[in-house]
Amino acid sequence: MRLIFTNRRRMALKQISSNKCFGGLQKVFEHDSVELNCKMKFAVYLPPKAETGKCPALYWLSGLTCTEQNFISKSGYHQAASEHGLVVIAPDTSPRGCNIKGEDESWDFGTGAGFYVDATEDPWKTNYRMYSYVTEELPQLINANFPVDPQRMSIFGHSMGGHGALICALKNPGKYKSVSAFAPICNPVLCPWGKKAFSGYLGTDQNKWKAYDATHLVKSYPGSQLDILIDQGKEDQFLSDGQLLPDNFITACTEKKIPVVFRLQEGYDHSYYFIATFIADHIRHHAKYLNA
Amino acid sequence: MNRTAVGLSFPLPLAPSPPVIKSKEIRSCEEAALICWESGNLNPVDSYTVELTQAETPEASGVTESVVGIPTCEALVQLQPRQSYTIYVRALNMGGPSARSQPATVHTTGSYFHLNEQTCHPWLTISEDGLTVVRSERKTSAGELPASNTRFTRCVAVLGNLIPVRGRHYWEVEVDERLDYTVGVAFEDVPKQEDLGADSLSWCLRHTFVSSRHKYEFLHNKTTPDIRITVSPRKIGILLDYENSKLSFFNMDISQHLYTFSCQFHQFVHPCFSLEKPGCLKIHNGISVPKHVTCY
Repeated sequence: MRLIFTNRRRMALKQISSNKCFGGLQKVFEHDSVELNCKMKFAVYLPPKAETGKCPALYWLSGLTCTEQNFISKSGYHQAASEHGLVVIAPDTSPRGCNIKGEDESWDFGTGAGFYVDATEDPWKTNYRMYSYVTEELPQLINANFPVDPQRMSIFGHSMGGHGALICALKNPGKYKSVSAFAPICNPVLCPWGKKAFSGYLGTDQNKWKAYDATHLVKSYPGSQLDILIDQGKEDQFLSDGQLLPDNFITACTEKKIPVVFRLQEGYDHSYYFIATFIADHIRHHAKYLNA
Repeated sequence: MNRTAVGLSFPLPLAPSPPVIKSKEIRSCEEAALICWESGNLNPVDSYTVELTQAETPEASGVTESVVGIPTCEALVQLQPRQSYTIYVRALNMGGPSARSQPATVHTTGSYFHLNEQTCHPWLTISEDGLTVVRSERKTSAGELPASNTRFTRCVAVLGNLIPVRGRHYWEVEVDERLDYTVGVAFEDVPKQEDLGADSLSWCLRHTFVSSRHKYEFLHNKTTPDIRITVSPRKIGILLDYENSKLSFFNMDISQHLYTFSCQFHQFVHPCFSLEKPGCLKIHNGISVPKHVTCY
């Protein structure tokens, strides 16, 4: 309610770019974000079908160091999105230009590393609210401005974005029709990336950490049936570094009978070459539920 | 006229007896049926005629389509999808046509196949309706079985007889979660002394239940991708797609896609089933491709 009836300026979108692709349009917009208190860019792909009717919406969350550009220029997702008639939205990975001390010191914390949480600690809590941005503000903005069906939404992502997709789905049973991930950070409370990010954004209370950890969330997931597809490169250095921990997630899902198909892909690493190889499978996975 | 003059008269042959359709061996899909029959005659017959009527049509006298001049006891007839047909066969010789055979019914919803008893490993039994495969407890290995080109002698397996028509075929297999089984497709000449999935002539899903854990392998040429599945299926859907050269497996309890092989089918393939431990599999036929499966 707040966003619709107050301050129309907040809802204004400024188009940054538009390129025709597989019969549809890849656009980038900028807007003033209420949650993040700064200007944010996001990418939207409108398939040909969007010219004549509302389409389902598929949200992509990118990984560490990415902006809204990486996915749209490297993943090769457009053909599948066009064929299946899906609107695909790719936000940035953190607030930008907030002038917070320390935000540019590391590539895995601060700028480009929002971790899709709502920070509770200073100096992050005013701007670093990517969880609310992705689950509330952005969908409301998309629903109000683009030909999407608000009842049909799914989410997927890579690495930190894979973590983001999993936790958004697990914390909001029924909100997303499907979820999938590429090399997700499955158990952040136990890996170096997660420990660094969570202690910075959430402080020292581990209970606050668990609320953003997919492996923990699964253990108490009460909700409607999910069908989770995960691709993981076998030669992924972050897998061998213990940053991703998919085994923990799979074990938890097996116990709780959450349906997962986890594919360990021989020879593949953590890069967009890996994502590009399997992106069509993921889009088909989502289309099956979004177009049902 | 003297009727005993040589060559002036001899008795006409009698019309033949009606053939007997082998109903249990009918194979069909949405576009065709393969019917075979016993001649029903000791003497040779010139040809056979297959007569088809669409059952349950609004017109009381259904139009009968006839396929004539069939030289052998077998015919592959083209049909319309999602209909029911009544089929008769007649034999024909110089004395004229036989009476109609007993009818057989064909439904062109999904694909129907039966299990091929000639391929069946001796430790497997097939139920009366031809759709349940049972491996019972056995104490002995009954010695070495002689090698065979038709019958499985090592892998406790059986092949189905799928209609040799391209397009898509779909069937389901009901399994026990604790059962060790293998399901998929194989060429007719798959080596019968090998395990399913051990060579390039079969593609299958193998489930092994050991130490309370479920292991799933998708085998072809002895290799499998590394896949973990957290919810074990009790009903598996199998989609064979000749046009797109794919074989897909689904957990039908939750409409979940499990895996798709990309295969080169240079010949027709048949469904294959094996049981690595005592237990049973139940096959379900005649099912239209479910909507969520169609996108694969």
